[in-house]
Amino acid sequence: MKNKERKLSEYIDKLNAGQKPEQHGKPTDKSELEKLCETVRKVRSLKEPDMPAGDYPARLAASVNKGLIRNNPENNKKRIWLTGMAGVAAILVMAVMLNSILPFGGASIVHAMEEAFREVKAYHGTLEIVQTNAKGEQSLQAELEVWANKEGYYYIKGLEGWQKGIVTANNGQRKWQVRPDREEVHVFPAFPDAYRFTFELGKEIQQVKNALSAKVVGEDTVAGRKADILEISPHNGRAYRIWVDKETKLPLQKQSAMQNALQYTITYTQIDFSGSIPDEFIAYSVPYGYKEIDTNPEQLVNSVEEVREIIGFNPRPPESIPAGFDQDGIAVAPGAGLSKLYYLEQDKGDRVIVVQGRPVGEFNAAPTAVLGKADNNIAEIQSPVYEDLGILGGGALYAGITDISSIRWRQDGYEYAVVGSAPLEKLAVFVHSLTGGSFEMPSADDQTSDAPRIEVPVDLEVEQSSQKGVDAGSSPWRLDPAFVAQVFVSLEMSPGGITGEYPVGYEELEVIRNNGKDAVVEVSGDKTPIRRVYLKRLIRQDSTGIWTVIGYDPSDNE
Amino acid sequence: MFGMDKPKKTQQYDVKSIEEICSATWEPLYRYVYFKVQNRQEAEDITQEAYVRVLSYSHKGASRPENFIAYLKTTALNVIRDRWRKDKRRGTEVDLETINPLEAAVEDLSEESSRRILIENSLKRLGQDQRRVIELRIIKGFSVAQTAGMMDKTASAIRVLQYRALQTLANILEEND
Repeated sequence: MKNKERKLSEYIDKLNAGQKPEQHGKPTDKSELEKLCETVRKVRSLKEPDMPAGDYPARLAASVNKGLIRNNPENNKKRIWLTGMAGVAAILVMAVMLNSILPFGGASIVHAMEEAFREVKAYHGTLEIVQTNAKGEQSLQAELEVWANKEGYYYIKGLEGWQKGIVTANNGQRKWQVRPDREEVHVFPAFPDAYRFTFELGKEIQQVKNALSAKVVGEDTVAGRKADILEISPHNGRAYRIWVDKETKLPLQKQSAMQNALQYTITYTQIDFSGSIPDEFIAYSVPYGYKEIDTNPEQLVNSVEEVREIIGFNPRPPESIPAGFDQDGIAVAPGAGLSKLYYLEQDKGDRVIVVQGRPVGEFNAAPTAVLGKADNNIAEIQSPVYEDLGILGGGALYAGITDISSIRWRQDGYEYAVVGSAPLEKLAVFVHSLTGGSFEMPSADDQTSDAPRIEVPVDLEVEQSSQKGVDAGSSPWRLDPAFVAQVFVSLEMSPGGITGEYPVGYEELEVIRNNGKDAVVEVSGDKTPIRRVYLKRLIRQDSTGIWTVIGYDPSDNE
Repeated sequence: MFGMDKPKKTQQYDVKSIEEICSATWEPLYRYVYFKVQNRQEAEDITQEAYVRVLSYSHKGASRPENFIAYLKTTALNVIRDRWRKDKRRGTEVDLETINPLEAAVEDLSEESSRRILIENSLKRLGQDQRRVIELRIIKGFSVAQTAGMMDKTASAIRVLQYRALQTLANILEEND
């Protein structure tokens, strides 16, 4: 009996893990266990299926192709030829007919958008932003003329609304805003660009691709063009809709969920695709009589020699520039004594900066950061950047820009940071090249040998509800393992609640391990008998997942 | 000389067309297979095998692409049967021309909703602890240890409880079948 219970439990565990249970490959009988396994599958069918990753259609096609080749019997060449040729013809016909008959599913339309955008070099359109209140009353917020290209350059001019007459542009060298009302031109760093413009096509498609789900929910006509309506459920935040042009397969309109009784609809009332942005739009100039207000802490230079002359050291470039990237400029931030080597990934428009400066004080990693190792020192890994400590704090604002990640470490008497809009894996390639391969990035799959001596029971339902609260903007401290540990230790000391200051200070806590999924926080001082707090991201293992205390170690003399 | 010709001869299929077919049809097929096997690993494998089988013989029925998804689903069912060896006989070959796609789609939807209602109603007839253990272990996917923590029971008590809960549920479902 016990064996059956265990087998059934293992069967459930296998299905929960998305794996094939061994019972599915074995001859089956009409035993009770088989009946119960079938009942498990029936109950599970109430849930939404566990869908494969976004690259599944491509992987599937490649595997199917291999399978078809394998199925061709080698010993019957005539048949191979006949079946092969007939098969090719049939598949081609099938593909063409399916494309014309079947409605696009969510996955295929996302793929189609990506493919269509791959062909676009630049676009020019008129963007309209309309606000709708809970009563259904609409008001035009802004009408903008938009020029944008794949390298991330853009020119936006307000035609109507509060931005009327204001021009915002970024040419990769600098970002600037022309304010006719004040006769001023404000200059900012080109990257990172905290606010680009809304409904940027490439970014929009990327967001849809990374979403939890995208499904076609209807059809509509927008600005005289027929469109499919897609409902997008992002990983966090509320579901929203986009309208995808049936002909161009590119987004035409986006509608946010109703939040705080307001909803925004952003529409390209006109859009066309061109080869480039005309030079006059992205050439920086200060109109006659206007005042230039330069808030850019960076100065562009032409060579590393100029860097040395200005800040006194030669910047260390990567041993080799990672594939797909080209060097895109050199800059210094004289005030902060930093060098900045810029790289651009031509295909995707992602930018990466290698920042270098002299270290000041001790190296402290942001408590929310994942910790790796570079050149045998701690490497602070943030994705996205929540805190700009050390050289991240000097020169440009990185923290709080959601698509910027960073890896920061010290090596050979300098502090380095690789910062960029590229995925963390690509930043890691730069770090590998800068450290001569001496870089370890922890994986959430890394198993820790550390286990708490005392386990803390966890109520997963409570945690799920807390995660929802944090997603909605409350209790952001749950994203910081040091803060969660501080609250836990403090409540252990004062179970009745905390009044006034926490009995254990934030500075007395140090995150000594964090792989993004598990964290260990060490408590210094002698105020509490707790030495180490063990935390886990139980609900979601990314930067938006809350930390939960799962155990602790008392001090040795306890 | 012959050796050099070989790779060319094996490249008989148009990968781009296969990609287009897979892109346009994988989702309903995958969902259908997943519904049967309830795990991603197997669902991905069986979906792939169904395409290979169907496309290997597609020259027989390419004139009726509207039947294609129904044909894929039926083939996938044969693959599952073959793999699970429930039926020792070779899976029945499906004739593409005999499948009415509209009927198949309607049947899918109505069957699915009545099955859901049946399972949900059957779950309601379980005792509180039995229903909770099924919810936590199967629907929410918690481990035995997590479920034990949440229900304030030992791991072995959870295994016994879930076994009995599934026995009861299987009997209720059988009564209503």
